[in-house]
Amino acid sequence: MSMDTWVLVTDARHVGAMLAAARGLGTPVTAAVVGSRALAELVAAAGPDTVVWVEQDAQIPVEAYAARLAAAVVLAAPRVLISSTAPAARVLLGAAAARRGSVVLPAVVDLAADGDHLVVQRSAVGGAVIETLETSSPVAIVFTGEDVEAPVGSPAAIETIPADLPASDLCLIRTEPAGGDSSGVRAAARVVSVGRGVKSKADLPLIEELAAALGAEIGCSMPVADDLGWISKDRYVGRSGQHIAPRLYVALGISGAPQHMEGIRDAKVVVAVNSDKDAPIFRTADFGIVGDLYEVVPALVAALGTT
Amino acid sequence: MGTNGKRGLDDQMKTVIAYKWARDGERAAVREDGSVDWRNAKMTAGEDDPAALSAAKAIAAATGGALVGLTIGDGDASWALARGVEQSVSVTDAPTLTDNAQTAAVLAAAVRAIGNVDVIVIGDSEQHPGVPVTLAGLLGWPAVVGIDSATARDGRLEIVRKVGDDHQVLSLATPAVLGVAALSAEESAPGMKELLAARKRPLTKMTLADLGITVADAVSNRGSHLPATKPVRVFDGDPTLAAEQLVGALRADGAL
Ligand SMILES: Cc1cc2nc3c(=O)[nH]c(=O)nc-3n(C[C@H](O)[C@H](O)[C@H](O)COP(=O)(O)OP(=O)(O)OC[C@H]3O[C@@H](n4cnc5c(N)ncnc54)[C@H](O)[C@@H]3O)c2cc1C
Ligand SMILES: Nc1ncnc2c1ncn2[C@@H]1O[C@H](COP(=O)(O)O)[C@@H](O)[C@H]1O
Repeated sequence: MSMDTWVLVTDARHVGAMLAAARGLGTPVTAAVVGSRALAELVAAAGPDTVVWVEQDAQIPVEAYAARLAAAVVLAAPRVLISSTAPAARVLLGAAAARRGSVVLPAVVDLAADGDHLVVQRSAVGGAVIETLETSSPVAIVFTGEDVEAPVGSPAAIETIPADLPASDLCLIRTEPAGGDSSGVRAAARVVSVGRGVKSKADLPLIEELAAALGAEIGCSMPVADDLGWISKDRYVGRSGQHIAPRLYVALGISGAPQHMEGIRDAKVVVAVNSDKDAPIFRTADFGIVGDLYEVVPALVAALGTT
Repeated sequence: MGTNGKRGLDDQMKTVIAYKWARDGERAAVREDGSVDWRNAKMTAGEDDPAALSAAKAIAAATGGALVGLTIGDGDASWALARGVEQSVSVTDAPTLTDNAQTAAVLAAAVRAIGNVDVIVIGDSEQHPGVPVTLAGLLGWPAVVGIDSATARDGRLEIVRKVGDDHQVLSLATPAVLGVAALSAEESAPGMKELLAARKRPLTKMTLADLGITVADAVSNRGSHLPATKPVRVFDGDPTLAAEQLVGALRADGAL
C-alpha cells in the first residue's frame, strides 16, 4: 500500500502543522483545498508536493463539496487523510474516510511510519495522557498537534477539481454579527484572564492594575462571565467563547479545564498563577507561580514597575 | 411540506438523537507511569448530548415527527427517556471502540434498522470528533457539525453556527446528520418524577447480530504515557521573589 497523504484544508489554521506531520512520513503529500483561490495559493506555498483545489461558491458552505472531494480521494487512494478539528474540514474527512474505509482517529498529535505500520500518538483523557496506537489500515486523523510555521518555498502546482455540485442541498441563508470582538480581547497581544479564584467583583481593580502594567486586555473563564456576570460575555475565553492567540496569556485563578484551554491553544506564552500546585493548567503553562493570587498579583505589579 | 422532489420532513419521518454513554474522563486518575485508572470514572452522557437533545426536540416539534433515542454499549436508555424522548433504542453489546469509524458503523446500522430516519442529531464531542462526520459519510448523507442549534422550517433544516465573528444560518435538505457542540453544561437535570416516568417508556434492545454487523478496532494500543510537556517553570515560595523571577523570565523570553 502506498503511504501517500492527503491533507484536507478548508481554512488557513494549522496548515503548517498538518503539512509538517504529513512530510514526516517521507512520502508524497497532497493538499486538498476547498475554498478560495487565495487559500489554495497560500497552501501551495506551505510545502505540499501537489495541491488539488475545489473552488467554493461564497454562498455555498464547504460541507456541500464533501461528496465531490470524497470521490477524488477514492481515486487517489491515499494511505493517510488529515484534517484539523475545524467543523467543515471534519465533514470532508468523514465523507472521504467512510468511502475509503479508513480507521478514524481523534486528537492525533504525531504520526510516524514503521515499515508498513503507522504509529499514531493521540491525546486522551482530556490531554492528561498520550496513547500510542498502531495500525496497518488506511487512517483518517483529526490532527491537534502543536502548530508550526509553514515554510515558505516555491509553490506547488494547483490542479483544479470541477465542483459539479448536484443541487444546493446546503446553502447559506444569512450571516448575522455574533457580537464580534468589541472587547478587543481576540486581537490583543497580551491578555490577563481571571477565573473563579477571584473571590469578589470588588477585587477586579487589582486585576485591572496588572493588565494596565502589562498593556493587556482582560479576559476570563466562562463562569466569571456567565454565572457570576462580573465581566462581559464577549471576554470569556474557551471552547464556546473567544479563541485567542496572544503573545502572552496570564491565567489568574483558572483551573485549566479542557474547555477553557481550547480557547488558548494558539497562545504563545502561557503563565498560570494558582494556589493549587496540582491544577491542570500547570500541565500546559510555560511559566507558573504556585501561590495566592491576592499576594502574587500586587507583587507582579510591583516587579513590572521596578525591574 | 415542501419536498423539492426529495424526501421531506413529514409525520412518518423520525429524528434520531444519538447520545454517548461512556466513562467520564474527568474522573479518571492518571498514574505516574502514564497509565489510566478508570475505577472511579462513572458512566455518563457526553457533555454535548443535552444540547444535541434540545436541537433534536426542536426539529421533532417543528415537523411533528417522532423522536427516537439511540445509544450504544451499555448505554443508560433512561438518559433520553427521562428527558422527554418517547422511545429509545440501545445496541447493547457494542464494545468500547477507539476507531471513530467503527462507532459510526454501529450507529449507521442502528439508524438503518430504525428505518425512515430523516435527521440524526448527535453530540459533536471533543473526544470523538470523527463520529458524526463518518456516520454521515457511511450513510452518504450530508452533515454539518460544530453547530449551536437547529430547527426545521418548510421541510428543510435550519441550522445556526458560529464562524469567526458571525452567526451563520444555513438551510439543509434531509436526510442529514447534525453535530451539535454544547456552549455550556446542562442547565437542569431531570428529577425523580421524570426518572420514574422514563422507566415506563419503551426501550428496544438490539445486538450487533440483530444488526448483522461485526465491529472491531483495526488499531492496536501500545499503551499510554504522560505527555512530554515542555517543562513548566514554576516559581514558588516568597511571592515578591517569585514575581520578580517571573517578570525576569518573561523579559528574557521576549514575552514582555
Ligand atoms: C459544554 C461546556 C462548554 C464550556 N465552555 C467553556 C469555555 O468556553 N470557557 C471556559 O472557561 N469554561 C468553559 N466551560 C466550563 C469549564 O468546564 C470550567 O468549569 C471552567 O473553565 C472553570 O472555570 P475556572 O477555572 O474559573 O474555575 P474553577 O475550575 O473553579 O477554578 C478556580 C481555580 O482557582 C484557584 N484558586 C482559588 N483561589 C485562589 C487564589 N486565592 N489564588 C490563586 N488561585 C486560586 C483554584 O485552585 C482553582 O484551580 C464549559 C463547560 C461545558 C460543560
Ligand atoms: N454518539 C457517540 N459518539 C461517540 N462515541 C460513542 C457514541 N455513542 C457511544 N459511543 C461509544 O462511547 C465509547 C467512548 O468511550 P470513551 O473513549 O471512554 O469516551 C466508545 O466505545 C464509543 O463507541
